[in-house]
Amino acid sequence: MRKVAVIGVGMTMFGKMPERSLVDLGTEAVRAALKDSGVSPKNIQVCYCANYAHIVWCLAQEIGSKVGITNIEMFNVENACAGGSTAFRGVWYAIATGMYDIGLALGVESMTTSSLAGRAITSETDLDGQLGLSMPARAALRMKRHMAKYGTKPEQFAQIAVKNHDHGSLNPYAQYKKKFTLEEVLNSRMIAEPLTLYQCCPNSDGAAAAILCAEDKVSQYTSKPVWIAASVLKSPGYLALQKDITLSNLTEQCIHEAYEQAGVGPEDLDFVELHDAFTNSELYLYEELGLCPVGEAGRLVDEGATALGGRIPVNPSGGLLAQGHPLSASGVRQICEIVWHLRDQAGARQVPGAKVALAHMEGGMVFGLGSAACSVHILKG
Amino acid sequence: MGKKLIVEKGLFTERGDALLGRKCRGCNRILPPLTEMCCQCFSSDLEGIPLSKRGKLFSYTVVHVPVKNFQPPYAIGWIELPEGLVITSQIKGWEEKHLEIGMDMEFIVEKLWEENGEEIIGYKFQPV
Repeated sequence: MRKVAVIGVGMTMFGKMPERSLVDLGTEAVRAALKDSGVSPKNIQVCYCANYAHIVWCLAQEIGSKVGITNIEMFNVENACAGGSTAFRGVWYAIATGMYDIGLALGVESMTTSSLAGRAITSETDLDGQLGLSMPARAALRMKRHMAKYGTKPEQFAQIAVKNHDHGSLNPYAQYKKKFTLEEVLNSRMIAEPLTLYQCCPNSDGAAAAILCAEDKVSQYTSKPVWIAASVLKSPGYLALQKDITLSNLTEQCIHEAYEQAGVGPEDLDFVELHDAFTNSELYLYEELGLCPVGEAGRLVDEGATALGGRIPVNPSGGLLAQGHPLSASGVRQICEIVWHLRDQAGARQVPGAKVALAHMEGGMVFGLGSAACSVHILKG
Repeated sequence: MGKKLIVEKGLFTERGDALLGRKCRGCNRILPPLTEMCCQCFSSDLEGIPLSKRGKLFSYTVVHVPVKNFQPPYAIGWIELPEGLVITSQIKGWEEKHLEIGMDMEFIVEKLWEENGEEIIGYKFQPV
């Protein structure tokens, strides 16, 4: 397998933009990535494009045609919230295995113009969904378990939203740039006890793109390549075989494999971008990533360890909570964020001296499986 | 008003007084209701077995936003049965009795919602 680097990234603002089409959003992100990389559209040899919420065909081809990327191998993919990461992995794989030298990974989502507009994503056909087990309800059940087992407090979950909105206020691309106090987060609309509205990620529109390049061509384009040191994508085993259904074997497997591939441990990470669809997702991930022992994630929050300036910043972008979460775009957006930090281009939210970062996304809820797709990448600058 | 089961067949025992789990004839594993293939040995030779009507509250929450079939507030949780299964269930009696993870819960057959002039019958768990 050859070494592969990210040589260009670009994204749109994230937010509610119903006046913008999928093609409009995707085109902007691709143009920005092409400009950032200096790659001519003619030199893109392979493309993966992720989308979930629209019934659309050949989106990669349509967006490609607007910017001069035609007559190449193109894949259109979906893996719920892990779609963008899936697209990124697809291009990595095509280059690492030697088939191509330069490729484009793109994630585009326009939730406000889809059938999901204004709604929470809930399966209504399986038994869990019929009984009222929505995604936020499921998040709340996991919160209550952590509270009962380890004494974690609602304030500690809520503080994660405060932190991520603090970070978002420094991010020009973020959907939400306003800071919130702990009281404002706790007193926002109750969704499912103790999960409040500001602890849930929003519906968003946006697109993000990354251009990847094989090792031997990298120096033609950049002196600051960001190397892909690990790439993992996996589906879960059966929930009925898991010892504790509030934990995710899948997440732990993916993280472990990524650490092995990259030859690093949690202590080597300078920062993390992870899937904070709800505050409890982030809290559990502190333990799953090995940033702290099991049960002590609340303490990590209290210490401020995962805020900018702390020993292991998590979601310096603002995460899904503040940056926004256009499902298929988020995985590629994380790559953009990581690349900017590793190149020392992240402005006010820069993690100083960042050299190694991890990107984690997971999503999709399948009856009998739980969270259905998880993808982890580790990048080194 | 007419009555209809939330799932036409196979969720409850014939008598309708307990959840119907599955036991794999291939490897003896106990599986959740409505399972069609054993997740351990992949056999589809499963027999229905009545599940325990008592379990422990594994987790719960009170939901404050509406979903398709329920107006808020409603309580939903996970019930851990002695067979080693964890079942999703609405919870009855949460307004009257303080819920605590680990408390003993019992199965009841209960109307869940109304649709097209019919009562949809399902199950809930309530504190013992």
